[in-house]
Amino acid sequence: MSVSDAYARVMPRILVIEDDIGTAREIAAELAGHGHDVTIARDGATGLDRATREGFDAITLDRMLPAVDGLEVVRILRERRITTPVLMISALSDVDERIAGLRAGGDDYLIKPFAPNEMAMRVEVLIRRHHDRADTMLLRAGDIELDLVRRTVHVAGEAVRLLHMEFRLLEFLMRNRGEVVSRRIIFEQVWGYYFDPGANLINVHIARLRKKLDRPGAPSAIQTIKGEGYRLDAG
Amino acid sequence: MLAEPLRFADIRRTSAFRLTAMLGATFAAGIVLLTGTIYLLTARELTDRSDRILADLAGRMLAVAPQALPARVQLETERAGSGLNYYGLLGSDGEPVAGMLRMPSSLRYDQPADIEDAGHGIGPIRLLAKRTDRGETLLVGRDITQIRDLRVRMLGILVWSGVAIAIGVGATAIGLSLGPLRRVRDLQAASRAIAEGHLERRMPLAGRNDELDQFADTVNAMVEDVGRTIAQVKGVTDAIAHDLRTPLTRVRANLHRIAQDDALAPDHRARLTQAVDDLDTVLERFAALLRISELEAGSRRAGFAAVDLGAIAASVADLYEPLAEDSGITLSLDCDPLPLHGDEKLLFEAVSNLVDNAIKFGRAGGHVRITTGGDAARWHLDVADDGPGIAADEREAVLRRFHRGSNAASAPGSGLGLSVVSAILGAHGLRLDLRDAQPGLIARITPAE
Repeated sequence: MSVSDAYARVMPRILVIEDDIGTAREIAAELAGHGHDVTIARDGATGLDRATREGFDAITLDRMLPAVDGLEVVRILRERRITTPVLMISALSDVDERIAGLRAGGDDYLIKPFAPNEMAMRVEVLIRRHHDRADTMLLRAGDIELDLVRRTVHVAGEAVRLLHMEFRLLEFLMRNRGEVVSRRIIFEQVWGYYFDPGANLINVHIARLRKKLDRPGAPSAIQTIKGEGYRLDAG
Repeated sequence: MLAEPLRFADIRRTSAFRLTAMLGATFAAGIVLLTGTIYLLTARELTDRSDRILADLAGRMLAVAPQALPARVQLETERAGSGLNYYGLLGSDGEPVAGMLRMPSSLRYDQPADIEDAGHGIGPIRLLAKRTDRGETLLVGRDITQIRDLRVRMLGILVWSGVAIAIGVGATAIGLSLGPLRRVRDLQAASRAIAEGHLERRMPLAGRNDELDQFADTVNAMVEDVGRTIAQVKGVTDAIAHDLRTPLTRVRANLHRIAQDDALAPDHRARLTQAVDDLDTVLERFAALLRISELEAGSRRAGFAAVDLGAIAASVADLYEPLAEDSGITLSLDCDPLPLHGDEKLLFEAVSNLVDNAIKFGRAGGHVRITTGGDAARWHLDVADDGPGIAADEREAVLRRFHRGSNAASAPGSGLGLSVVSAILGAHGLRLDLRDAQPGLIARITPAE
């Protein structure tokens, strides 16, 4: 049984720490719609307490909370050696704020207002990354095999030569196989930049990767999901 | 901003220097006049006194019996030795009879005159010639070395005090000019910064409430007013962008959710998708507007580190090479290392934006070149395409918010891309220049000043 199978079997538990009840309900509704079990905490202290005592799969954390603020919550969590992935959500879009959030121990940073499905996608990317065993050295999806040690890729047993960024793009898609990931998330996670480079740019990179992976006559392993992003078939 | 060195030519032009120099010159002229007058009056007085003494001595000699006169002249000459007074007696034929003096050719009878060399090493003297009843010539002279010494001393005083006054006045003039000149320089630097859009800068005040302080105070009040007005306008824009983003994001989410409904008629779904796309454009513009405001607020330093703009350009070229190829454009890179202190991610975004534009507005089958040039102080990084370019009168306008070039209508974009680039570069002390590539456009990044 693979890790992702185990992940799919149990309903992931998400803790939403958010003082604005409207936003909290919105987040909870979207995550529940994606099949998650959601708990809401209305302030930092309660959130910190529940996150410490109960085992959650992921936490969405408002950056600005009364009393104990978001940065403090994530810092204390990390001090207590709780490694639950944290998606920081903030109205502060400044790059300096993002850096502060990630330095304090946040795993990803989302700026308000956000598209709910984008938020859910990010939470799921975080959960999968967290569940991926660190010693996983071979990723498989359908007939694609990616060896992280030898840095080789085989499609149906045939070696495919990928450039550095193509390899990283495929690795990211394979780690999130079977799930839709937006172009923005791809750009942030694979290239590490936080601006919108436009849809075309990611499209051509995907097109190049497809050209190398796809076999004549067979459907492409990477599906375009209109208005949302891409999905690599789990196979 | 680097302070320009103070040159003497600049100091010389200040009013403080000119006024001090003028005052110094007037003072020097006064000193010359005063010293000259003292000298002239003293010299005349001394000469008059010599003349009276000479007349007296001559009178006494002429009172001596004519036969005894040669012996008397000889006696007085010997008695005087090398002293003050000198005597001489010449026969009616002009031949010397007694004494050491001879009749100089320039001398007139009864008119005392200064004689430089009266023979026998005597001179300068004041010399008087008198005719005796027997037709002989009596010469009486008096040493005037003292008067000559006085003249030399007076001249010396004039020259040395002149030099001292010139040095003193020069030093004072420079000293008095430096302070105001430095302040004017500070005011100029502040006004340049304000003109470049740093409305938070103020003219420096010396706290003396002098004319420069009063001027700076007036300008500061004006800048304050302009800043407040601009902040109000920007505040309103930002508030609209900020407040509309949340409801619009909700609308977008709802429309997107509805569009996912399988029961939806295909044309309804297409219209909903179009509406979502349009909303995305609006949200993108709002996000860009708010980012520009943040960048212009200019407090971002957390991400600043030593970076290499040349290497950043190379990464951008890597990222955009597939897009260029897809558009049938050759993307080439020839960049030297450009070490800077800055935010790598922001600079990457700025260069990306320029390369994206060059590909978007370049010529199909054309060429986009990323190059560096210049020297360490005035380097530049160019992103050049060979497309239609931008007309000269439109180049400034495209750097303003929301402006899109006349040939941009068909290309996607918020119209804020170059404003974001300008804001990012501004936060790094860099600037964006648009130039004609003949054909095409060069987007050039250079140090601001």
